[in-house]
Amino acid sequence: MKPFACVLFCAAVALAQNPLDPAAADWKSAAPMTLSLQRTPPLYPTDSAAAIEVSSVQAQFLHTNAGNFVRLQWSDKTHDTTVLPKAERAWQGDHLVTQSAATDRFSDACAFMVPAKPVIGDLNPSLQMGDAGHPVRIFVWDSTRGAAVMEASGRETTKRTGQLFPAQGQYAGGKWSVTLQIPDLNAGTPFAVAIWNGSQQDRDGRKYFTIWYRAQ
Amino acid sequence: MPQHQISMVLDLNKCLGCQTCTMACKKLWTDGDGMDYMYWNNVETRPGQGYPRNWDKIGGGFEDGKLRPSELPSKEDYGQTFEYNYAERLFQGGMQAMPQEEVRNTPNWDEDVGALMLGENYYFYLPRLCNHCTNPACLEACPRKAIYKRAEDGIVLVDQERCEGYRYCMKACPYKKIYFNELLGKAQKCIFCYPRIEKGEVNACAKQCPGRLRFVGFLDDPDSAVHKLVHVYKVALGLFPEKGTEPNVFYVPPFNPPRTGSYGKSVLEDPRMPMDYLKYLFGDEVVDVIRRLEGELQRAQSGGASEVLQLLIGRDEHVRYQIPKHEQLIQIGGGHKA
Repeated sequence: MKPFACVLFCAAVALAQNPLDPAAADWKSAAPMTLSLQRTPPLYPTDSAAAIEVSSVQAQFLHTNAGNFVRLQWSDKTHDTTVLPKAERAWQGDHLVTQSAATDRFSDACAFMVPAKPVIGDLNPSLQMGDAGHPVRIFVWDSTRGAAVMEASGRETTKRTGQLFPAQGQYAGGKWSVTLQIPDLNAGTPFAVAIWNGSQQDRDGRKYFTIWYRAQ
Repeated sequence: MPQHQISMVLDLNKCLGCQTCTMACKKLWTDGDGMDYMYWNNVETRPGQGYPRNWDKIGGGFEDGKLRPSELPSKEDYGQTFEYNYAERLFQGGMQAMPQEEVRNTPNWDEDVGALMLGENYYFYLPRLCNHCTNPACLEACPRKAIYKRAEDGIVLVDQERCEGYRYCMKACPYKKIYFNELLGKAQKCIFCYPRIEKGEVNACAKQCPGRLRFVGFLDDPDSAVHKLVHVYKVALGLFPEKGTEPNVFYVPPFNPPRTGSYGKSVLEDPRMPMDYLKYLFGDEVVDVIRRLEGELQRAQSGGASEVLQLLIGRDEHVRYQIPKHEQLIQIGGGHKA
């Protein structure tokens, strides 16, 4: 490739990837949707009730030639994430001690759920991870472990597909900004959002969630 | 309810506190990434803080049939993990091999500290592993249904594919014998050396034990040492029976001679350690067990034969371990319940 062509190509790639940057200028022009968050009730006998610390999440959408993107933003006073230590090797591959054992800490996280099959009319899948006839795909981003695609057909059926998807998260000024690149996300696609607040020991069904909305 | 239940009995009177079992387990199973702080088998001095610190006081198990709340142990509760400055020591020379950081708390940090009774120090060693409970609180607590109890031997395992690292199991376990691998985001625990057990080989911790204090076999096998010690001679008890999980690891309680050695005085009249502490660990039944053991001792001392004391000597592996290969399991049982 000639230098000039390379400059053009690389610039195009850079532009195409731009929406994945949570601070990209493109997001300024995307209309925000403010979604109210509900808190799941205590699910297990040992669960204590949790205060409402995150009341809403803002969603914005960008549809570009590079793909379809959503940016989620929510306020969170605590930045709950762990930088996982790298597993180190000594001579001949011997394991070296890694100072890691965040045994009692949980990470901030979010998820973007969409129906796995086209929705007929207004009949959305169950909010509880779909149901047998209405499966869902869930794009999960975890501040420690990154992004993963899950699928489900109801509560307790979620499983990892092994697929990853592009996502980026930034925490600044008491606020999370997370961009997710979601395949087949069009204006009108039903979606629901979940937020996990690590400092409240959120994980699993212990979380905040929205009702179904339609993507812009 | 499993068809068979494998079990271990540990005679605490024979434990040297040498940690050979701990190292055997560590080298075999928890030498991987993210497992540094894990000791699926550990030996702790009692009375003492235990590993993780205060595990016996932070909750878990069942109360009135429901899971009891619990805290999650923190990294500090498990004690520090650290590396030594081997590279400097080996390749630069002239200095001592030292930990790479100041060490302030490790597993078994309070080794041999014990406690005082009537001005005299007492302690004993308590080797601990997953109890592979008949009613596992970890299994009950897991919303992913990632924990299962094998029908063929009652071993409790965590399906590493299904586990999402939610750690409800860690909270639920009253013995705090499930660990979180932060690098993998998975809960991990003692697997009772099932690949060895399936081949008829005893667990690594038992195999390496210089004190020969571990007995392994199927509780429902009437010919096994564990069956005899638990169900026939009734000299072995589970830890914290009131937690409601029905542990399948049992202990022959510390049975010391009378404190002053006064002739004619029984262990219960002149104990070397507070009976209340043993009751705390093993329940009120421990008094009967000690009385039973003292009776056996007196019989042996007066020239009689004591089958239970002979068995507890555990002269060789054939006495201590009865582990049929899994394809032979169908032949044992005969109506006995684990």
